[in-house]
Amino acid sequence: MVLKREIYKEFENIVGANNISDDEALLDSYRYPLMHTAIHLGPYYRVYTPRGEAVLLPGSAEEVQAIVKLCNKHKVRVKASSTFWSAWGYPMEDNTIQLDMRRMNRILEIDEKNMFAVVEPHVIGATLQAEAMKHGLNTHIHGPGASCSCLASATALNGLGPDTAYLGHHSENMIGAEWVMPDGEMVRVGSVGSGLGWFYSEGPGPSLKGLIRGMVGSMGSMGVFTKCAIKLHPWPGPAPFPTDGRPPAYKAVLPDNLMSYTLGFPDWEAWADSCYLIWEAGIGYVAHRQFNMFGRDLKGAMVRILSDPTKTLGDIVELLKDPEVQKMTEDMKRDYQIVLAGMTPRDIEWQEKVLDRILEKTGGWKVEGMLEPNLHDWSLLYMLRLGHKNLNLVYGGGYDGCFGIGGTPDFATTGEYPRVEQATDFKKEWEKKGNIVAAGGDGMMGGIGGMGGGGMTLWENFTHFDPHDKASTEGTYEFFNATSEYGKQKGWGPGMEKMNDYARWTDGRTTPKEIRNKILSAGGQPEALRYQRKFYETFNPNDLGDSYYRTLD
Amino acid sequence: MAVKEELTGIVSPENVSENPETLGAYSRDLSFAKPIQPKAAVRPHNVDEVQALVAWANKTATPLVPVSSGPPRFHGDTIPGVPGAVIVDMSGMKNIMKIDRRNRVAIIEAGVTYPELQPELTRAGMRLTMPLIPRANKSIVASLLEREPTLIPRQQWTILDPLRCTEIVWGEGNVLRTGDAGNWPSMEFAFERKQSAVGSGGPAQTDFYRFVSAAQGSMGIVTWISVKCEVLPEPHKLYFVAADRLENLIDFTYKVLRFRFGDELLILNNTKLACIIGENPDQIKALMGKIPSWVALVGIAGRSILPQERVEFQEKDIADMAQSSGLQMTATIPGGQNGKVLDLILNVSREPYWKLTYRGGYQDILFITTLNRTPEFVKTMNSVANASGYPVNDIGVYLQPLHQGASCHCEFVLPYDRDNLEEAARMQQLFTRASQAMVEQGAFFSRPYGIWAKMAYERDTQTTRVLKKLKGIFDPNNIMNPGKLCF
Amino acid sequence: MALEDYLPDMERCSQCSYCKWIPFDQVKSWRFADGCPSIAYNNFLSYSARGRFAVALSLLNKQSTYTDRVVDIIYKCTTCGSCDVSDKICRYNLEPLEMIQELKIRAVEDDQVLPAHTAVIEHLKKENNMMMAPAAERGDWAKGLDVKIIPVEKAEVLFHAGCNYSNDKDLQATARTALTILKNAGVDVGIMGNEELCCGGRAYDTGYKEEFTRLAEKNIKAWKAAGVKTIVTPCADGYHTIMRLYPRLGVNFEVYHTVQYFDRLIKEGKIKLSKSVPMRVTYHDPCHLGRRGEPYIPWEGKEKKVKGQVIVYEPRKPRYNGAWGVYEPPRDILKSIPGIELVEMERIKEYAWCCGAGGGTREAYPDFSNWTATERIEEAKATGAEALVTACPWCERNFIDAVNSTGADIKVMDITDLIKQAI
Repeated sequence: MVLKREIYKEFENIVGANNISDDEALLDSYRYPLMHTAIHLGPYYRVYTPRGEAVLLPGSAEEVQAIVKLCNKHKVRVKASSTFWSAWGYPMEDNTIQLDMRRMNRILEIDEKNMFAVVEPHVIGATLQAEAMKHGLNTHIHGPGASCSCLASATALNGLGPDTAYLGHHSENMIGAEWVMPDGEMVRVGSVGSGLGWFYSEGPGPSLKGLIRGMVGSMGSMGVFTKCAIKLHPWPGPAPFPTDGRPPAYKAVLPDNLMSYTLGFPDWEAWADSCYLIWEAGIGYVAHRQFNMFGRDLKGAMVRILSDPTKTLGDIVELLKDPEVQKMTEDMKRDYQIVLAGMTPRDIEWQEKVLDRILEKTGGWKVEGMLEPNLHDWSLLYMLRLGHKNLNLVYGGGYDGCFGIGGTPDFATTGEYPRVEQATDFKKEWEKKGNIVAAGGDGMMGGIGGMGGGGMTLWENFTHFDPHDKASTEGTYEFFNATSEYGKQKGWGPGMEKMNDYARWTDGRTTPKEIRNKILSAGGQPEALRYQRKFYETFNPNDLGDSYYRTLD
Repeated sequence: MAVKEELTGIVSPENVSENPETLGAYSRDLSFAKPIQPKAAVRPHNVDEVQALVAWANKTATPLVPVSSGPPRFHGDTIPGVPGAVIVDMSGMKNIMKIDRRNRVAIIEAGVTYPELQPELTRAGMRLTMPLIPRANKSIVASLLEREPTLIPRQQWTILDPLRCTEIVWGEGNVLRTGDAGNWPSMEFAFERKQSAVGSGGPAQTDFYRFVSAAQGSMGIVTWISVKCEVLPEPHKLYFVAADRLENLIDFTYKVLRFRFGDELLILNNTKLACIIGENPDQIKALMGKIPSWVALVGIAGRSILPQERVEFQEKDIADMAQSSGLQMTATIPGGQNGKVLDLILNVSREPYWKLTYRGGYQDILFITTLNRTPEFVKTMNSVANASGYPVNDIGVYLQPLHQGASCHCEFVLPYDRDNLEEAARMQQLFTRASQAMVEQGAFFSRPYGIWAKMAYERDTQTTRVLKKLKGIFDPNNIMNPGKLCF
Repeated sequence: MALEDYLPDMERCSQCSYCKWIPFDQVKSWRFADGCPSIAYNNFLSYSARGRFAVALSLLNKQSTYTDRVVDIIYKCTTCGSCDVSDKICRYNLEPLEMIQELKIRAVEDDQVLPAHTAVIEHLKKENNMMMAPAAERGDWAKGLDVKIIPVEKAEVLFHAGCNYSNDKDLQATARTALTILKNAGVDVGIMGNEELCCGGRAYDTGYKEEFTRLAEKNIKAWKAAGVKTIVTPCADGYHTIMRLYPRLGVNFEVYHTVQYFDRLIKEGKIKLSKSVPMRVTYHDPCHLGRRGEPYIPWEGKEKKVKGQVIVYEPRKPRYNGAWGVYEPPRDILKSIPGIELVEMERIKEYAWCCGAGGGTREAYPDFSNWTATERIEEAKATGAEALVTACPWCERNFIDAVNSTGADIKVMDITDLIKQAI
C-alpha cells in the first residue's frame, strides 16, 4: 500500500518537503533485518520488518502532534524511533509511517543544582554525558550503550545498564515527559504539566508516569515522547575525558579517585555475597559483568585484542595459547567489573578499603591481569562511557541474549548446581554444533545492580552468530528454541530469547492473535494486560500502535 | 437488607460498626474539610474481604473511603466526600508477612505502623527510613502511598522509595500485584526460588502502583506493600549546621547532595526544631528563642562494612563542606544536643502528636519545589502571614530534599488554637490565601488535598483529562472515595 | 572487489549507528559529536554507512531501483571515512568505506551519473585535471622557479603538485613555496611540469574507477619511465591515491606528503625555523592524510571462521581504521615554529570532521559541501584560533570558500605557508 498523494501532501505540509520521503530504497534503510540481533526474537534468516509508507523527520513537538492527529484522521499507523538500535523501533504492518526523531536532538536544559537534564529524543548517552560532565554531573548510560537515545530508554523501552546501582535505572531517572498521546493530545507528565519545570515526576495526585511505562515502556506503540527530564548524578572526574590511545584501544588516564577493577570469585555464592555487600556498603559507581559477553573462555584473549590497536580478531587463536592470557581467563571465570569513584580523597580511600574487606570476606580477588595500566585505563574508559557496547557483535555480526535469568543474585547462583552453570553447560553443548561461537557456554553479561542502590542482577547469556550465514542463523534459532524449552522444563520460563515472540512473528509482522494470546496468557498476571487493553482502547482509539504493547482481551 | 447485615456477610460482625460515635470520628479530622458522617465502618482482615467489600460497593453503588492510619488525621482525604459512604478501615491488617534480610525487603499489610515494624526489622539488623516523626498509629502503607517525604534523600531512587511492590484491589474489584510481586504466582513461590519483592516496575508496561500513589484511596485499596529497608546503622550520628540565612544552608545542602554523602538530610527553621525538641508550649517558646534561625540536620551512618570509618571520613568531609559555605558543623546547637535530636527524629511522635503541642492545632501547607527556590516561598509565606496578622515566628518550616536532590518538599506548619473559633476562622482565611499565593508562585501541589485539588488541576488540564479516563478504567462506578482530587 | 562482494557486510551490519558519530570515547560535547557529514546534513538514515548498506542491499536484491533519491544517496557522501573509523571501534569484519566506493562505482557503471560529475570527468578525460583547466597550463604554477623538469632532467624526488595546486591560482603560491623549501633544504627535486597528470584519486572517490585506472596507469608508466622512486606531494588526496590505491595496480612508489618530508628535514636540521610567528592556530587533519592515509599493506586472502563463528582472515588481514594515519608530523612542525600556539579542535586525527570537498560533493552538491566546511570553521573558531591550518589544497579551497560565504573571522592557511614565515 502506498499513501495516497493527497495524504502524503498533508504530511509534507507539516514537516516540509525535505523531511519526508517515500522512496522505496530509502524506506528499505528503515527496515530491520531480523536475521540480526533482533532483541529478542528470531533470528529469522533474510526476513525484514515491513516497509513503511513514508518516513518523516519531525522538527518539533508541535509537528509530531500534527502528524499524530493526521494519522488519526486517516487511520495511518505511526511508529517513532530515535536511534533505531533494534527491531522495536520499526513498523510491524503496512499502512505505517515511520517517524525518525533525529532532528529533535537538543539538550534543552541542564539544571546543575538540582541535577537533571531535559532532552529531546535524539540526544544520546555520549552527548548527554559529555555535557553533564561539564557540570560535574553524569548520566546513566543504559545497556545498549552510548549510541542510543536517552529519552527512548527512559520513556519507551527499558533503561537498565552497567552503572544502574549508582546512576539509577532510567525508569527511576525519568522525572517528567512530554507525550503526544496516540489520540493526538499532548500531556506533560509531572511538575512540568503545571508549567513549573521538570523537577518532579509524580502527580498532581496519581502519577501518569505509571501510564508511560512499567518494567519497560510501550516500545513506540502508544504515541510519541517528544521531551523528557532525566535525573543526573554526581561525577567526580574531569570533563572532557582525557582520552588517549589509538583506535579502537582508547583509554582514559583519570585521576586516582577513579579506579576500575575486574573482580574474580572462587564460587558463585561468594560472587553473590559480594554483590549484596557492595550494595549494603554503598560503594561502586559502575558494576557489571561486561567482558563476559565475549564468553568465559574467550574474554581474556578478547580484552587483549581490544586494548591493543595492532591486534585483530585473527589473533584470537594464538592468544588463547598464551599462558598469561589463560591465567587471566581462569582468574576471570566468575567475575565482574567495578569502577570506584571517590567524591573526595577520603571517600576513595574508604571505598578501596571496603572493597578489599569484601574480597577478604568472600575470598575474591582483583584480577591481576586487568590491573596492568593499559588494560586498567582501557576498561575504565569502556565502563564509564560504554562507547564500545556493540562489541557484542564483534565476532560474526550477530548476537542475541538468551536465558535472561533475572532477579536477586541468589536466584542464579545458589545450590550445588547453580542456574548459571546449568545455563552454561546447556549452551556449551550447543556450541559444539558450530553454528554459534564456542565461547565457553557462559556468555552471561549483566548488571550488578538492576535498580538504583542495587537489588537485582541479570544474566543474559550472549550468543554470537553470523547473520550472513544461513546455517549459523538457523542454527542459532534452533538453539534459542531449545533454550526456551529448557527454561520451561526448569521452571525458569521461556527466557529473553523469546521475549518479543508475542509481538513480531517469523515473517517480521504481527504475531498471529491466537499465538500472541497464548504467549501473553502464560505470563504472570494476565489481568495486567487486560488493563493495558483498556488503556490502549481509551488512549489509542484508532488503533495506530502495534502489538509491542501487550494486551489481552 | 440493612447495611450492617450486608457487611456482616463479608467481614465478621465485630468488624462492622454503625456506632454514631465511631462514625463521627471518621466524619471529621483536624483540617477545614466539611464533616460528613459515613453510614458504616468496616475493618477487613484480608484481601478476600477487601475484594468482597469492593464488589458489594459496586453492586450497591456505595462509596468506600479507605483509612489505614489512626487519628488524628489532618488533610481531609479520609473524610467522606459524599454522604452514605462506608469507611474501610485497614488498620486491622497487621501482618508483617516477610522480613528478608538478604534482600533488605519487608512485606507488610496496610495496617502495620512504624512502631510495629521497626523492632522486627531491628532484630533482623535493618530499619526502614521514615517520614519526620510520624504519629505512632500512622500506617506505613498510607504514609508511603501518600508520598510523605522520608529523611534520607540519597537513598531515594524514585520519589516513591522505599515503597516497592503492592497488592491492589481496584475500584472495579480486581486484584493486581505490582512490581516484582507481579512476576510470581505467589510470594511463597518467589521466596522458594530465592527471589524477593524488591523491584517496583510493572507488571508489563505499566507502573500500576503509581496510580494508587497520592490517590487518597480514589483508585483502589492497597492491602500490602513491600519496602526496601536499610541496614541498621551503627554508628549513627547527627550533626547540626546552623545559619542565619536560609540561602547559606541551601548552598551547603547542595554540596552534601552533590556528593551523595550523609544520610538524613533536612532543613528546619527554629520553630520547627523547637516543636520537635520541646515537650510543652513553654519549652517550645523558649527554644524558639535559642535555636538559630535555620538548621540543617545531617545524619551520618555507618553500615555493614567499615561503618566507623565511613562515619569518620564523612564527618570530616561534610565539616569541610560546611566550612566552605562559611558555616560550621556541630554536635550541639543552643537548645539541642545531637544524640537527643537524633533519637527524636528517628522515632515516632510522643503523645499528643508533636505538631499539636505548641498551640493544640495546626494547619500545614506542603508542596514540591526545588531547594534553591525555597527562600522565595518562605518570603511569601511570611508576607501573607504578616498581612493576616499571624505571628511569623510561629511558622514552622521543614525543607526535605527528595530524590537525591532533584526536588524538595516544602512544608509550612502554622500552629493555632483550634478551640478558639475566631482564631480558627482567621487561620482558614490565611490558609486559603497562603495556598493561593504559593500556587501563584509556582508551588507544585503533588498531593493536592482539599482546596489544593482545584488549584492543582486547573493548572494542568491535560493531566486531569487523562486521570479521569484512568479513574474510569479502575473505578468505573466511582465508588472509591468520590469527590477527591479531580474525580 | 565488486559491490556483490560486500553482501556479507550488508547483512552483517548491525544497525548500531556508530557510523554517524565520532567514536563515542572521543565525544567531548553535544555540538561536535557528529562524525558523518552526510547523515548530519541529510538526516534520513539512508545517508549513513548503515543506510547505504541497506540501500545497496535493496538494489542488489532488486527490491528497489535507481531513482533521483537513490542517486542522491549514493553520491552525497564525501567518502571521508569517518564511518569506517567509528564502525571499526566494535567490528573487525566490516568495510563501509570500501562498500560506499563500490556503490558509487556501480552507479557509474549503470550510467546513473550526475551532470556535474559528468562535466568534470569529461574534462578530466581530455585535459587530465579535475579543475576544468587546459592541460597545457598544468605546469604554469612553477613558472620562474629554477626547477628540474622530469624526465628531461633526473631528480631523486618527484614533486607532484596535484590538480588543485597546479590550477587554483589562489593556492599556487603554496606549491611554489613548498618546492622552494625543499630545494633550499638541499633536496634533489623535480617536477613534471605540463606532463603532470591528475592522480585519479578524486575520480575514484566519485565512482569513476575506469578513469582512475586510466590516469593511474599513465602516471605509473610515466614515472617508471622517468626512473621515479620517491614522490613528494603537498596534496593529501594525491598522497592517499599514490600510497593506497596505486599499489593495488601492482606498483609501490615511496610517497611522502610534504608535511612528512618537511618534518624530517626540520628534525634533521635542514630546515631551520628561527623566526617567530606569533599566532594561535588549530590544525585540520585532511581525511586522506589522516584516517585514510595509513600505510598500504598488501593482502590477498580469504575469510574463514574459528571457534565456530568468529570471522577471521587468512592470512591475517590488515586493518585500516585510522590508527596509523599521518597525525604527528604536521603537529610536530607547528610545535617547532617559534611563537605558534597549537590548540586542538574537538574532532581531530582519525575522528576529524571532513572539510566537505571530497567524493565529488564539492562539484555536485555545493550547498552540502559548503555546510560541511562551515561546520569545521565553527569548530575551529570555538578553539579561539586565529587560523585554521591544513595540509590539503582541497580542504583549503573549501574552507576559504566557506569563510568567504559566511564572513567568519578566521584565516585559512596551509602549513607550508607557516613554515615559510618561520624560515
